[in-house]
Order: sequence, then structure tokens, then C-alpha cells
Amino acid sequence: MNFNLVRRMAMRDIRSGEMGLLLVALVVAVGTVTSISLFVDRLQQALVQESANFLAADRQISSSREIPDSFRIEAAAQDLRIAETMTFASMVFAGDVNQLVSVKAVDASYPLRGKLLVADEPFREGDVATGVPVAGEVWLDSRLFPALDVALGDWVEVGLAKLRIGRVLISEPDRGGSFFDFGPRLLMNIKDVPATEVVQPGSRISYRLLLAGDEENLEVLKGALPLEPNFRWVSIRESSPRIGSALDRAESFLLLGGLLGVLLAGIAVALSAHRYAARHYDHVGVLKTLGATPRQILFGFLSIMLLVGSVAICGGLLVGGGLHLLIVELLSAFIPVALPSPGIRPLVLGAVTGLICALSFAMPAFVHLKGVSPMRVIRRDLGVPPASLWLSYGAALTGSVLLLIWYSQSLLLTFWTLIGAVAVVLVFGTLSYVLLKSGRVVGMQARSGWRLAISGLQRRSRENTLQILIFGIAIMLLLVLVLLRTALISEWRAQVPEEAANHFLMNIASDEVTAVQQLIDDNATAGDFLYPMIRGRVVAVNDEDANSYQARLSASRGDSGPRLMSERNLTWTDTQPINNTVVSGQWWAGDTDRAEVSLEKDYADDFNLSIGDELSFDIGGQLIKAQVSNIRTLEWESMSPNFFIILSPPALRSFPSTYMTSFFLKRSEKVFLNQLLTAHPTITVIEIDAMIEQIRSIVDRVTQAVELVLGLVLASGCLVLVASIQASRDARMAEHALVRALGGTRRLILSSLAAEFAILGALAGIVAVVGAELTVAVLQSQVFQLEVSVHPWIWPVGPLAGALIIVIVGLLGSRSLINTPPMLVLRGLN
Amino acid sequence: MSRTVVSAKNVEKIVETAAGRLVILDGIDLEINERETVAIVGASGSGKTTLLGILAGLDSATAGSVHLVDAELSQLDEEARAGVRGEYVGFVFQSFQLLGSLTALENVMLPAELRGERLAEAQAVELLEKVGLKHRTTHYPRQLSGGEQQRVAIARAFASNPTVLFADEPTGNLDTLTGEKIIDLLFDLNQAFGTTLVMVTHDSRLAQRCDRTIAIEAGRISP
Repeated sequence: MNFNLVRRMAMRDIRSGEMGLLLVALVVAVGTVTSISLFVDRLQQALVQESANFLAADRQISSSREIPDSFRIEAAAQDLRIAETMTFASMVFAGDVNQLVSVKAVDASYPLRGKLLVADEPFREGDVATGVPVAGEVWLDSRLFPALDVALGDWVEVGLAKLRIGRVLISEPDRGGSFFDFGPRLLMNIKDVPATEVVQPGSRISYRLLLAGDEENLEVLKGALPLEPNFRWVSIRESSPRIGSALDRAESFLLLGGLLGVLLAGIAVALSAHRYAARHYDHVGVLKTLGATPRQILFGFLSIMLLVGSVAICGGLLVGGGLHLLIVELLSAFIPVALPSPGIRPLVLGAVTGLICALSFAMPAFVHLKGVSPMRVIRRDLGVPPASLWLSYGAALTGSVLLLIWYSQSLLLTFWTLIGAVAVVLVFGTLSYVLLKSGRVVGMQARSGWRLAISGLQRRSRENTLQILIFGIAIMLLLVLVLLRTALISEWRAQVPEEAANHFLMNIASDEVTAVQQLIDDNATAGDFLYPMIRGRVVAVNDEDANSYQARLSASRGDSGPRLMSERNLTWTDTQPINNTVVSGQWWAGDTDRAEVSLEKDYADDFNLSIGDELSFDIGGQLIKAQVSNIRTLEWESMSPNFFIILSPPALRSFPSTYMTSFFLKRSEKVFLNQLLTAHPTITVIEIDAMIEQIRSIVDRVTQAVELVLGLVLASGCLVLVASIQASRDARMAEHALVRALGGTRRLILSSLAAEFAILGALAGIVAVVGAELTVAVLQSQVFQLEVSVHPWIWPVGPLAGALIIVIVGLLGSRSLINTPPMLVLRGLN
Repeated sequence: MSRTVVSAKNVEKIVETAAGRLVILDGIDLEINERETVAIVGASGSGKTTLLGILAGLDSATAGSVHLVDAELSQLDEEARAGVRGEYVGFVFQSFQLLGSLTALENVMLPAELRGERLAEAQAVELLEKVGLKHRTTHYPRQLSGGEQQRVAIARAFASNPTVLFADEPTGNLDTLTGEKIIDLLFDLNQAFGTTLVMVTHDSRLAQRCDRTIAIEAGRISP
């Protein structure tokens, strides 16, 4: 067949609607992928940009050693922008008053991402700073002004350097959630550091080299630098694990959603291609009698498919592009950052997806046409040899696997999705077939709609089994997505509860406890109780010196992990704190008189400590011993004070301690901090409200994207239902036209169709519910690292909704079955 | 003496069904000469349509040999049989079998297009003129009456300038008057093109217009 003939046949098929559903299914596949990828691509870029603000850079290299010049030279060679910071704790003096502060010294390029906010008065909303403190100047946290009793223009001493207070520092992008740099911030110019003379051999200083630039160049740099073991490469995922895991899961979900959308559209493509092929058997028969060879038929119909595929891809790209613009427009009010321009990748992704869909889902049906016998032209009763199962399922499976791997970039996700799909098909295919086959009735049972429906279901049991599976898989995929979305969003929301503590108070003296507690109760929206906090270090394990214990441990493990003898915050309490779960051993009795200790699980694992071990602590020069009686896990997301080491009251009660607590403060209530610090100037306040707000805004945006994807996939799901009903329409039409010709009323046909679709839908709903529960359980545990849960509500909802949806879509799609005169139907069939 | 263009020797067609072996054709021997017109008649289920399909290379025999013009069909695969059909054979069917997605003109151009010939259009217009449908060239089959559709089908059958024309109940779907006109047209064109005509029919009057009648009964040629 020459190209002109192919073109004419294709265009005519498109115009006459023969190709309609195939075309729409392909357009939806391409459009779904393109719009999701375009939007996700831009959203991810925006999220990464915004998340980068947490680092004040795209990446950081951090170390307790000075960053060598070679690193800067290499970074410059990769065309990356760099900035440097040094962070250390120091006492700052203003006349007779002193305060422990966290000093951050920065160079003029700081920050590379995000903004410094400054003000001219403490506790105010900040404005964006145009630079960093000039040499000789410092910017102080609001709370340092009452603590040091200073004002702008006053002088403070940092080490040996005398520096002038230039601005109030409201926020800095990379303040982050690290509790390492305790204390209020003092920002100074890195050029002033030598004059302070605080940097001495052995000083604990955190050096950071901030990097910004192309992702590729950053990766090249990472590979080129000798980072191990002294320099740590930090990206947003390592620096802020909470945001990192939210982003990871969101990406997995979006990819999974996009993928399921495409697979659903793929099923619709396969169904409509098979229907198109079935309606062209006679066509092929005629062509063959006229001398068309099987090769010509194959070439001709594949050309038609590619031509239609190309039209669909172009249409899909346009639809996808338009849809994504619409989404961006709709969400523009919620997305404060300007979205970066999309790359070319989403368009390529859309086009290639369309091609893979056409080749793997539609092609087998077209290839099958070459086997149609020309005898069919004179012998209509001649069937058509069934399509090769190997080719049909092999191609669809190969296409699905290719798409799965390409989208998810994860063999694990691909593997589990396939296992889920194959298991569902095998188990429920057999089950549905057996159910439909059992109790075979004789004749068409045309006395009532209900009986007519059951006899029809049984007579076409093979086709109906397939239809149940297709409906079931479509509903299952939608349920999987709905359940995962709910699980993910509630998980994210739970990470940052509405009134999670957003301020920490530390260094509360024991004689201040009552007054501070009263102030918090009166002014803060929600508060915690005050924990005593005592600094101490572990000096021996089971009477073995901690140094030698650690040396032995490191030798056996071959690494140098955290140091056992580091000074840590200890607390004591008689009751088990909320959000702490004992995983082995038992919490001590409230009236215990023994010195017992409870360890956090990771801490215990790091130092190979277990229940029964005896730890010796050095607290301000005094030694105490306590036996490990239980191991706990913590919810770090709870934002409550958390401790690695908790002792029983008898162990620590007699030691002088300071107290700490956390509470929630609305932005409008922040002026309370001024009142608090004026009354108790030595208290240290750590504000994490800005960080929480940032996390929440990211979670909200990711949630929007997830819901958007869900909507698009729902559209694909409906398409599959329509395609599947269309595919079985011809067989139903023939039977019902006959029943009508023999005197069956329209009401009988209508009730029979409704009953048939209801049974199919309900069975499909059962398939979907079981499949969804299994798939979600596997995905939750294997991919999303969430807790596995059962969802009792879907068990009744699945079959009912399945029946309802299929009845509605089915009856709408079968209107012509009822409205077309039976004579026309019968004549068309002969 | 005319050469033989269609011959069958001891042709059998047996199909395996759930109920056992079903013999459709049983030892058919026949020869049809060039330019001859032959009617194959028989009751429903006698095997006449199956025989037509095998003689035309649309189907293959279970046993025996079938010769069509220069080709031994029983030794050819479907690809090669299609080539033979394209080169030597024309068809007219009871249900017309026009492609609904092509116009009358495009339907007539189809055989030549399948052979990759370029001058298909002029020849097709000429043929449509011969069957009296020059004014209907751009119409689609559903816009034509049954008689008009069969005329288009006849024009298409002669478009490949066939050596043998196979017709399967060509008037079966038409009223008597239209049927007679169609048959006149078919025989006229057959005469003009010098084609051999092999026709399956129930219609004894139609059979009588042929040079020879072959009667099939229970899969055998009845004497």
C-alpha cells in the first residue's frame, strides 16, 4: 500500500470516528505525561531552589578543618559560585554583661541562595539585607539586645576584637534545624576573625564552603574532590532529612502517579486498538482478495497506526502543554515563587511515551490483522485466528516495564508494581472465570432483565473475565493512588503538627522554673513541661575506660563513629516522656531508688550498649554510675525536647541543673519573647518557627502536586472504562438486537444491561479492593517506608462504587444499543 | 484451442470440528478454459462457496492440487497467493464488499494502487463511466444504492484487468430488476475484457446464461 492510500484510509478512519477512542486514548497518555512532567519539572526546580535556601547554597562542603584552597580552585574551574562561613561558639561581652553566642563569620558572597533578613529594631519583621556585615561590624539576633542590654551602634567584644552593632539579624537562610549551634546568633565578617584570636589550635569550629551552580558541575566537583574522610558533602537531603524525605516520597509518588496514568491510558489504547482491528477484519479480507499481501497489510496498518500515533502525539503535547499552563494559572495564587521555565525533557518524555504506548499496546492488534483470511469475504462465519498471546501480552509487558523503569528510575518500584499486577491478574482472573462459569444456565433466559444479564455474563465468560480484570485493575490503580495520597499527606502533616513547638527555651535556672512556667502558661498557645538539663559525659562502660572501650569498638568495626565521651545533655524524670517508645527493657517505676539509665536506640546501637550495661558519668567532676534498664525510640518530628540519655531521678536529682522546654508561639505573640528575655536575660531562646513554616509550605505545595496528579490519573481511569465498554459493545449489540427483534422490550434490555454492568462492576470492585490493599501494603513498606495499614472503609466502598461507576459509564456508552432500531443493527452485522 | 486457466485435481477440504471430521469437498476434479463462463450451483452447505474460495486462492485445500493461470496454488504460501490474486483475479461479492472509508473512485483505484501502478485514477474513471457511475465518483459506499454499490464493485473487479473473474452470488442482495441489469453489465464487461468468469449462484436463470454449469452436491461434483 502506498503512502497516499495509507494517509487516505487513516484520515478517513479518524474522521469517521473509527479511530476516535484510540486517538483520544493516545492523546490522554501523551497529554497526562506531558502535563505532569512539565508541571512536576517546574515544581521540582522551584522546590529545589526553595529548599536550597535551607543551605544558603545548592551544596555545602562542611568540615571541622579549614577548607583547602585546592577546593576553591576546583570549584572555580567548574564555574561554580562559592562563599565561605565559619561557625563557632564564643562568649560575647558588652561592658559587664556577657552571653554565650553562636558566631557565624561570613564572606561578602554569602548567602548564595536565600536571603538575610535584617531590621533596625529587635523582634520586628525583617527586610532583605543588601550585603553582609562590613569589617568591624556585627549583626545580632533580636534576643541578644535585651540579654546584653545593648542598642544599635553600641560596641561588643568578641574575643579580642571590638565590633560595632550594625543591624538586628532577623533570619538567615541556613539557620536550619541543627541544634549544634545553640545560642543566639552573632553574624560578623570573616575578615574580622583573625583579630578576635578565638581561633586557636583545638578550637571547635565548623568550616563551610558554600557552592551554587549547575547540577552537572556540582556532581563533577563532588567526584573530583578528595572529600573522605575529613570533608562532608552536604545536599538538602542530608542537611534537612525531614524535607529530604518529604521530597523523596513526593517524587516517588508523582512518578508513580504519572506512570499509573500512562498504564491506564495504555490499557485504553490496547482495548481501542483491538476494537479498531476487529472492525477492520472485513476490510482486510477485501484488500487481500484484491491482491494485498500479508506484508502489505502489515506495512499499511502499521503506517496507519504510526500516522495516527503522530497526530495523537502532537495533539497530546499541545493538550499537555495547555493543561499544564492552566494548572500553573490555577495554582499561581498558592505558588509564591516564580516557576522556572520548563526544560525540553517533559516534551521528549511525552512524545516517547506516546510512541511506546502505540508500539506496545496498539501494535499487536494491528499485526494481528495480517493473519485475517481473505475467505472471510465470502464466508462471514469464518472466525479470525486469535491474536498471538505472546505478541499481545509480551509487547504490553515489555512496554510497561520500559515505561516503569524509565519513569520510576527504580527497579524496586518496577518489580513490585509488576508482581502486584501479575498476581492480581492470575488470582482474580481465575476466580472471576470460575464464578462466571459456575451454574451455567440454559438459553438466554430472556424472561427478566436480571436473568438475561446473568446468562449473557456466562455465555461471554472469557470476555467478561477480561473486562472484570480491566475494570478491576483500573479501579485498583485509582484506589492505590488515593490510599497512598492519604497516607503520604497525613504522614507529612503529622511531621509538622499545626501547633508543633516552634520555640525552645534553654538555660533556665532552677530558681526561675516556676516564673518561666507561669509566663509560658500565660502567653504561649501551647507549652510543654520543663525538663532539667545537666551536662555530662560517659567516662566508662562496665568499668572499662570509655576511651579504650571506643578504641576497641572502632577497631572491630573499622570506622570512627561519634565519640562516646562527648559532653551531652542529660535529663532525669520519673515518667516516660510522650513520643518516646520503649523498644526493649522496661521504664523504671516512679518510686525507684536505683540509678538507672534509658538510652535512645540509635545511640545504644552506635556504641553497642545493651540492657544491663553499667555506664559511669562525669558530671561537673563528680562520678555517678547507672545501669541501662531500657532502650527507647524517639519521634524527632514531634519538635519536643528529646534526649539520647535519660536517667532515673535518684541518679541526678541532687545535681544542680538548668531546665529547658519548648512551646508554640504564633507570630503575633512573638513580642512575648521580649518580655521573657527582659525578665530572664540569661535564658537562651531558639526560634524554629521560620523553619517550620518553610517545611509546611513545601509540604503544602507537594500536596497540591500530588492531588493534581491524582486528578489526571482519574481521567485516564475513566477512559479505560469507556474503552472497555466500547470494546465489548459489538457483541452485546448483536445479542440485544436479536432479543429486541424477537419481542424484547427496551425496558428488558435496559434492566439487563444495568444488571450486567452492576455485576461486572461489583466483581471488579472486589478485585480492586484486594489488589489495592496488597499493593499499597507492599508500596508502603518497600518504597515509601511508611507504616503498613489496612483500610476497612474501602471494602464496602470498592464494590459499591465499582458497580455504580460501571453502570453509569456502561449505560451512557450503550445508549445506541437501546435506541438503534434492531433491523439496522442486524443488517449492519450481516 | 483455448488454454486451461483454472484446474482442480482431486481437491479435498476437510475441517476438524468438536463433533469430528467434517468433509466439505471430496475429490473435486475440474478444468475451466480461457474466456469460458462457468456457473457453480448447489444447495446451501454443498461446498460451492468453499470451492470458489479454493479455486480463487482465497483458501487452501487439505489435499489435491489447484492450478490458476500459471501458478500451482497448493504449493504457494499466503504471501505468494496474494500476488497471484493481484495479478490474475477479480472478484464480485454478494455483499459488494466496498471499503466504506474510500470513495467510489478510490475503491476502483484500489487494485492498481496495491500493485503500485501510478495511472490508476484515469483508468478508474474510465471504468466507472463504463458502469454508468461517472457522476458518482466522489460518493462513499453508504451514499450509494445496492445496485450502484455492486456496479462500483464490478468496476473494481475489472480494474486489475483480470484473467479470471470470480463472482459469489453477485445478485443475491439485489431486487430482480436491478439484479438483471447488474448481470447484463457483468456479462457485457466480461465479453469486452475477454475474461474467464466463474460464478457461484442459486439462480438457475443466471446459471443458464453461462457456457457451462458445474453442480456440487455434498462436496462432490454431481454428474
